Amino acid sequence: MRINEHPILGTYEKGELVTFTFDGKELEGYAGEPIAMALKDAGVMVHRYTKKQHKPRGIFCAIGRCTDCVMVVNGQPNVRTCITPLEAGMEICTQYGVTAKQPGGETE
Amino acid sequence: MKRYDLIIAGAGPAGLSAAIEAAKCGMKVVVYDENARPGGQLFKQIHKFFGSKEHKAKIRGFHIGEELLAEAADLGVEVVLNSVVIGLFPEKEVTVKIDNHVEHVKGDTILIATGASENMVTFPGWTLPGVIGAGAAQTMMNLHGILPGKKVLMLGSGNVGLVVSFQLMQAGCEVVALADAAPRVGGYGVHASKVARCGVPFYLSHTIVSADGCDHVTGVTIGEVDKNWNVIPGTEKHFDVDTICLAVGLSPMSKLCDMAGCEMEDNPAKAGFVPKVDEFGETSIPGIYAAGDVSGIEEASSAMIEGRIAGIAAAIRLGYISEADGKEKIAEQEAALNGLRQGMFAPGMRGKMITETEEGVSISQNLLKHGFVADDEIERFPGITHSKGIHPVIECTQNIPCNPCQDACPKHCIKIGKNITALPAVDEEQECIGCGMCVASCSGQAIFLVNEDCGDGTAEITLPYEFLPLPKKGDKGVALNRKGEQVCSAEVADVRSAKAFDHTSLLTMKVPKEYAMKARFFRKEEAV
Amino acid sequence: MNDRNRMLAPFVPQPDDDIIVCRCEEITKGEIRRAVHDGMFTLTEIRRYLRTGMGLCQGQTCTKLVKGIVARELGVRPDALEPATGRAPMRPIEMRILAQDKEDAE
Repeated sequence: MRINEHPILGTYEKGELVTFTFDGKELEGYAGEPIAMALKDAGVMVHRYTKKQHKPRGIFCAIGRCTDCVMVVNGQPNVRTCITPLEAGMEICTQYGVTAKQPGGETE
Repeated sequence: MKRYDLIIAGAGPAGLSAAIEAAKCGMKVVVYDENARPGGQLFKQIHKFFGSKEHKAKIRGFHIGEELLAEAADLGVEVVLNSVVIGLFPEKEVTVKIDNHVEHVKGDTILIATGASENMVTFPGWTLPGVIGAGAAQTMMNLHGILPGKKVLMLGSGNVGLVVSFQLMQAGCEVVALADAAPRVGGYGVHASKVARCGVPFYLSHTIVSADGCDHVTGVTIGEVDKNWNVIPGTEKHFDVDTICLAVGLSPMSKLCDMAGCEMEDNPAKAGFVPKVDEFGETSIPGIYAAGDVSGIEEASSAMIEGRIAGIAAAIRLGYISEADGKEKIAEQEAALNGLRQGMFAPGMRGKMITETEEGVSISQNLLKHGFVADDEIERFPGITHSKGIHPVIECTQNIPCNPCQDACPKHCIKIGKNITALPAVDEEQECIGCGMCVASCSGQAIFLVNEDCGDGTAEITLPYEFLPLPKKGDKGVALNRKGEQVCSAEVADVRSAKAFDHTSLLTMKVPKEYAMKARFFRKEEAV
Repeated sequence: MNDRNRMLAPFVPQPDDDIIVCRCEEITKGEIRRAVHDGMFTLTEIRRYLRTGMGLCQGQTCTKLVKGIVARELGVRPDALEPATGRAPMRPIEMRILAQDKEDAE
């Protein structure tokens, strides 16, 4: 959810409204904002499932430190979505371990 | 290899302030920061800062950040963003990752101003999406305009936990509870009070038992802890929340200092593993300095001064300013720094139990246990008087280094005196004109204008209001007491907003006169 | 912690041993406690043995937590433990970038 007007900050400067895909589904966000923010606005909580225990992870520190929010972006795994700016047409996929493929051989 | 007079790692309050002072002396300075935006955490700080004029008190953090950036830019300081200092070596060689390559640069002096990182606590479910750091919440709502969640539980009653709880409410979240394993509120009482009066219950001596949910947080269970920090069976309480926010302290991010070979110490008074520095911030390696949270966790205000001192010291070292002139400038800064390091929350006071103010007034125990001053405690503080007509009521009950209210009053009704940590007192000889400047200037939102008896059985209370939608004159609602409980019906008599108030609106509500000293917040009645 | 002959009380399982401490490498509290009983008395050894703090985030989140657990297991104060060595690169970095030194124009 977005904050439309803030009592102290007023309105937020945003880039152009663009579309991108999340696991193949088309979503909208603002160019230049961190990928994680656009996903959060769309209600996406789970960014990845861990390698060993297959546990869900999402935004934790939001400043690029904890690396919990990494996803597969345009085919590249381990991209910190909380500090990587959103671009039009980006293909963003949930990361399983270090790939976009779910364990068990299902396709992404 | 590129060479600079001063290389700074970190463009936060300390790094930028050092850059400004060094550049003023004519030094060639570069500041590297791994983030896409400079300013460190300043741009997430939307509250007014404490201190006095020289500490930029009553200015909001992000405005201070803007000022620092503009000043640095004017002086020609090179700020390189998205650049990660990945190595620092004793010979003052720095390796920095910029775009897709690594650069080697050499500095005649180096300042490490890398700040702090958040501490975390573990509990079952702490890795679930929806459990976030308090810094993450600030980043989402204050930088990017994204709501961290709808219903939030805050863990941590230090200043970060308190300030972020308030900010969450300003952004439009509901803070269902604030918990802390410690038996007493850790942050400023005024920060706690402004959260408590909005209706947030405080659970001290409580910790998180578990975060509940499958793929993300759907609830949280907290429980009371005994003296050994074990949860007492049967004390568990459950809340439906979608977000759990952790604000359990900060640790200096000092690895670069360690890597460079600076002598380090594990110092609990500085909240962790820090480089040993002298009064100018110089580490055991001559010419390598550290300033800000990296050399001991404090406020942004002190980080800025430490940065300035290190910047001047570097200039003295390289001969850009004479030792005499430099030392004089440093002495001014040190005086300002000492001003900030006074009072009950001074770095040396960490962990100490204080029972009385400097004036000898008993500290409100309710404030420490529940986040608000109880009705039977408030009267003993010097900011509380009962003059006829409109007058200020200052609910500032702890010795903190802050004095903007004293300067704000054009009629000199408010007295703090030379000692910056003294409790503000109301001078009843002077006449209050109800201008509200004191209400808006109080960084702790602890000043109210009260007319205890308007002559028609009502009282009027003017309070600071920083939420949306802003109520309008004539709006009906309820008044909340210091604890955030509804105590009576209330009607908005006036709402004033002015540029000088800097986004703090002054809301005047009319309540039955017996609630003049009880009602402290207004909530509009929800439309049915 | 250089006393390699330090005698520890026997390892007793705890109810929260399965809690994750190092989020990146998914190392649990129980594994860390067990490692101490296996003779890993320093944070550097723990790090090498278990990979705590060796994952993507490079110990940003767990360093202090691991230190606390090891100290408790050894019965010492956390500040008595030497921190693990800090080395360049400070942040995770791709090999191709690390190998890409920028040529100086000058």
